[in-house]
Amino acid sequence: MTSRSVTEARVDPVVTEIIRNGVIAVTEEMKINLMRTAYNVIIYEALDFTVGLFTADGRTVSIGLGLPMFIRGMAETVKAKLKHFGAENLRPGDVLITNDAYTTGSHLNHITITQPVFHDGALIGFTCCMAHWTDIGGTLGTMTTDIYSEGLQIPFLKLYREGHVNQDLIDIIRINVRIPDRAIGDLRAQLTAVRSGEKRFVELLNRYGRDNVLGAIEDIMDHSERAARAHTRSIPDGTYEAESFMDDDGIDIGKRIPIKVRVVVKDDQMTIDLSDVSKQVRGFYNSGLTTGIACCQVAYKCIASPTDYPINDGSFRALETIVPEGRVISALRPAPMRWWMTFPMTIIDTVFKALTPAIPARVIAGHHADLLMGVMNGIDPRSGRFFIGALGPCGGGWGAKRDEDGISATICMNDGDTHNSPVEMMETKYPIVIERHALVPDSGGAGRRRGGLGLEYVVRSSGNINVSTQVERVHCEPWGLEGGLSGRGNRVELIRDDQRVTDLPNAKVLMTRLKAGDGYVMRSGGGGGFGHPAERPTADVRHDVVQGYVSAAAARDLYGVVIDPATFVVDEAATEKMRDAMEKSA
Amino acid sequence: MLDPSSTKKKSPTMRIAADIGGTFTDVAAFDETTGKLLLGKTLTTPARLVDGIVEGVQKAGADFADAGVFLHGSTVAINTLLERTGARAALVTTEGFRDVYEIGRVNRPDAYNLFFKKHDPLIERALRFEVKERVLADGTVRIPLEDDDVLRLGAELKRLEIDAVAIMFLHCYRNPEHEARAKRLLEQRYPDMFVSASHELSQEYREFERCSTVVANAYIGPRVRSYLSEMEEQLTACGFEGSLLIVQSTGGLYEADQARSHCVRMLESGPAAGVIGTRTLCHQLGIENAIAFDMGGTTAKAGVIYKGEALTTGAALIGGYERALPIQIAMMDIFEVSAGGGSIARVDETGALRVGPQSAGADPGPACYGLGGTEPTVTDANLALGRLGADRFLGGEMKLDQGAAETALRTRIGQPLNKTMIDAAHGILQIAVTAMSYAVKGVSTERGLDAGDFVLFAYGGAGPLHATAVARELGIRNVIIPRAPGVFSSFGMLFSDLRYDFVRTRLMRLDTAPLEDITGVYATMENEGRAAIAQTSAKQAEVEIRRAADMRYVGQEHAVTVDIPLEVFERGDRAVIKRLFDDTHDLRYGTCAPEEPAEIVSLRSTVSGIMVKPPIEGVTAGTAETPASAFSGSRKVFFAEAGGMIDTPTYARAELLAGNRIAGPALIEEHASTTVLVPGDALQVDHLGNLRITVGDRK
Repeated sequence: MTSRSVTEARVDPVVTEIIRNGVIAVTEEMKINLMRTAYNVIIYEALDFTVGLFTADGRTVSIGLGLPMFIRGMAETVKAKLKHFGAENLRPGDVLITNDAYTTGSHLNHITITQPVFHDGALIGFTCCMAHWTDIGGTLGTMTTDIYSEGLQIPFLKLYREGHVNQDLIDIIRINVRIPDRAIGDLRAQLTAVRSGEKRFVELLNRYGRDNVLGAIEDIMDHSERAARAHTRSIPDGTYEAESFMDDDGIDIGKRIPIKVRVVVKDDQMTIDLSDVSKQVRGFYNSGLTTGIACCQVAYKCIASPTDYPINDGSFRALETIVPEGRVISALRPAPMRWWMTFPMTIIDTVFKALTPAIPARVIAGHHADLLMGVMNGIDPRSGRFFIGALGPCGGGWGAKRDEDGISATICMNDGDTHNSPVEMMETKYPIVIERHALVPDSGGAGRRRGGLGLEYVVRSSGNINVSTQVERVHCEPWGLEGGLSGRGNRVELIRDDQRVTDLPNAKVLMTRLKAGDGYVMRSGGGGGFGHPAERPTADVRHDVVQGYVSAAAARDLYGVVIDPATFVVDEAATEKMRDAMEKSA
Repeated sequence: MLDPSSTKKKSPTMRIAADIGGTFTDVAAFDETTGKLLLGKTLTTPARLVDGIVEGVQKAGADFADAGVFLHGSTVAINTLLERTGARAALVTTEGFRDVYEIGRVNRPDAYNLFFKKHDPLIERALRFEVKERVLADGTVRIPLEDDDVLRLGAELKRLEIDAVAIMFLHCYRNPEHEARAKRLLEQRYPDMFVSASHELSQEYREFERCSTVVANAYIGPRVRSYLSEMEEQLTACGFEGSLLIVQSTGGLYEADQARSHCVRMLESGPAAGVIGTRTLCHQLGIENAIAFDMGGTTAKAGVIYKGEALTTGAALIGGYERALPIQIAMMDIFEVSAGGGSIARVDETGALRVGPQSAGADPGPACYGLGGTEPTVTDANLALGRLGADRFLGGEMKLDQGAAETALRTRIGQPLNKTMIDAAHGILQIAVTAMSYAVKGVSTERGLDAGDFVLFAYGGAGPLHATAVARELGIRNVIIPRAPGVFSSFGMLFSDLRYDFVRTRLMRLDTAPLEDITGVYATMENEGRAAIAQTSAKQAEVEIRRAADMRYVGQEHAVTVDIPLEVFERGDRAVIKRLFDDTHDLRYGTCAPEEPAEIVSLRSTVSGIMVKPPIEGVTAGTAETPASAFSGSRKVFFAEAGGMIDTPTYARAELLAGNRIAGPALIEEHASTTVLVPGDALQVDHLGNLRITVGDRK
């Protein structure tokens, strides 16, 4: 519970600050080198990777983040590898590899490469790189019901033994994946990343001395711990609970999947308990235990750790996680994991929801919580060639906060600095015409603070193509908080013979055939509102109507503000009357 | 031919450059016949900017009446954008796409911050309009644009009292007819409206970035236009009869007339001109690879000269990464880090010592400015360590308060951390220097280059103070402090060239690309460039053309810009183009795939009007021994290498002669900056007056 005080610092604070910048520079350089040399777009455009530096016992020193959700998977993988091989069996020049889904907590596409770092003959840490390969074998584009249909599994192995490559393993990988040259290219990029990290870290050790560097790292972790504890202490003690649900697992259509979280705060310690999250499911929406822990840590990082402190082992010392095995975020072999990233986002949002009574100014209402990808393949009539392409990720509405409106059209929690694809680029590469890419008025949940708006793409195919969407959260709309209303849920529609097909039971459309002229609509949900809509200042409601974020009808029905849609003049008397009535009924 | 005995006055021989910043106006003048360089620095006069310029010109000892060319860099464009003081502007887009400008790229860099922000559009949604029209990816028209729709919208814009209009239609880079027609219709009907179409600024795909670019142009347009008109009037009133040329973000020059419509091209003129100055010196000194390191009060910036050329980029983000507005035009590739003389040092609540990113700026400024600042900054640390002289700052024009600096360091840093005031000050500098060196290193790593192979040019007020320390961290052996590092941007302007950058997106596979069509696209761009240069009144030596193509392997997303010699396309040599691409890919990404097919994404052409550049007059030659007049005293300066404060000689830079040698420890002082030589460093003054420093071993 107690941590070292300022005067108990192990190392001169000047040196510590230089080392702090130095270890961040180590992981930044690993990140630059990975992005620079990676072959596939998912790494350098979607930033689907993480690099990190770890202590000799596997604790996180610094993370160069791609995906925010990878906060945990890599650290657990380093620890698992260390346990598997034993420190005494690691040698300079060894490189360790795995893609074990139940260790990384995610799908088989995530290959984790780890390099032990030696200094004067002693093991003093690890550099590690987890990155998404385009293809790892397995079935293409359809639902899976076990891990074996999802591709090649690589257990804990040495890719290099004292500098000598394990060619047998390379050959096994090559024959199992669809585009072997790309896969090996990405593997090379990951090796470049961990090796450049090792080189830079050893330089730091030589420059400032091993004791100074290792001592400074402990001090830096203490700083992060202290900052996190101070933020946690400011949360009132108590037990906080919330619930939500997912639409279905893609197999039992319409069968809701319950999510329930419990947060216990006592002094400067927080416990997040996911025992009551649904058991693992038949469809490919499962993830492993480390992702269950990552859900807790991401939520905790957002709430309890100031954003200007780097992530390291100290950041999470004040957090206890309870995640029993066999849940949808702690699934056991052979649960399918391919679309692992969707459910955890909703769990994180549910933690924020639980904490609302305790810290209303620091939480956020529900967001659209899905990547919203439209995956397409078929023959491009312009070239006669087979193509695989993707629309999105769409971005959608984020929840309102107590004192701020929600942000519109922004990528979901799982991803961070991921960009969408420009319409002009997609139309150039794929046989489609996009008729509309626009915000959806009235999609943001009404509230004293309004939720952010979702957006929509209207896509027409110029040839015969297949489209797949794996979209969730149609039925569990992004919720409002403290009287705020929910935003609209995510939606997928098809266009056949110029008719909209709007009655799909969910937004999971797998390998559906579209002929030329047919199309589909992807519509992301809006964020939930915060506080009662009748409390939203009339001027703000009017502004939203002027800008077209809210319709005059919604202004009247949801906010009780009567506005002439042509002149934007507010009928003050009618407004007062309506708002009075709303407040009485509320 | 004119009769030489006619009344025409003697041909003007001066070239004058003025860089107007928020605080200072820097002037540099160059006599084309004698090679003489004159410099002046004065306070910016916001009410009438030309007053500051006139004073600077006088200070430098030059005269407008003798000037044939006036080169100008200004913060008017960037300030209008950042301070949001632009026009009441509207956006017109293809039907179904007006929200592209607000949606952006949907990324969320500040990933764990629930209070993250997004870019804030310069034009509110109510003033974003759509017209029915649609061009497809191959340039064919799916829905024709009706003139009546445009005119109807024009009437609405007039009613809304719109001053500036930005037009962005999809795929206009493939077929600009709709955009061009819409612009023409609006301009004809409403001549007072500033109308800007996206294809005039960027013919590259990515609709959000192009939209943001044209919106920024329209938004700042009216303000820039009136600024340039005032400047011209005022210069004429001062007796100036030559050409007014404006510095672009590439460091290249263009005519004021072109700047009136292509306003966004001058956004980052100041920082770019410093890199051009570095390139100029590289050419003169025979240096291939250099890092241009510019450290001022709030930021440090780094640009790269590689194989003799300044590296540029096709787009940049303006205003902080999370909330940035993208500008998709050619710009100098400059990396910026929040570290400067004003960076504040703090002990935070967890006991960690941080330097920056908060800055004391100019007001209240560092504690030693005596303007009310109480927190210690990098400048205070330099003063406490004796590296700055309290009565030598800005040539003695501004007295620094040594006591205030020491008190701030002692109470805010020293006491909480159990350190002496001197150790606290030294620690602050160590942290600032390592942070800057990590940032500079990133610039080179990102390009697959090793920073240690570069020469470091340091300028800006604080650059020379920290240059050798930064170089040591980077493993750089050679540092050059140019003449007048405090007014280096204006120096760079003097040696810039006219420059027009063009790009056209044309996606095609290299193995089947119609090379004659490509040559035609290049020719169109280059004719446009030649025509613009031909209209320029300033005299040039020659026109230079550079071609490049953005290329990638089929299936990749990212493209790299490949320089392609002119004759390669003329010869139609696909194999050579492919090899050039493979080599560029290998340099930048460490891998290449010669057996895989490549595709072209965009074609780029840069047309330069090379200005006449007579050699710069050198400084008087001396011997290895510095003249007695250069020695200006000595004071106690802290050097970790010496274990504490030691007597250190100071030199007046203006008195140094070519060939002079100085061994560290020493300080070389001049008007707006001080160069620090630590023990082990060796300096020699070269024939142009540059300080060339060989950095000693680390520790």
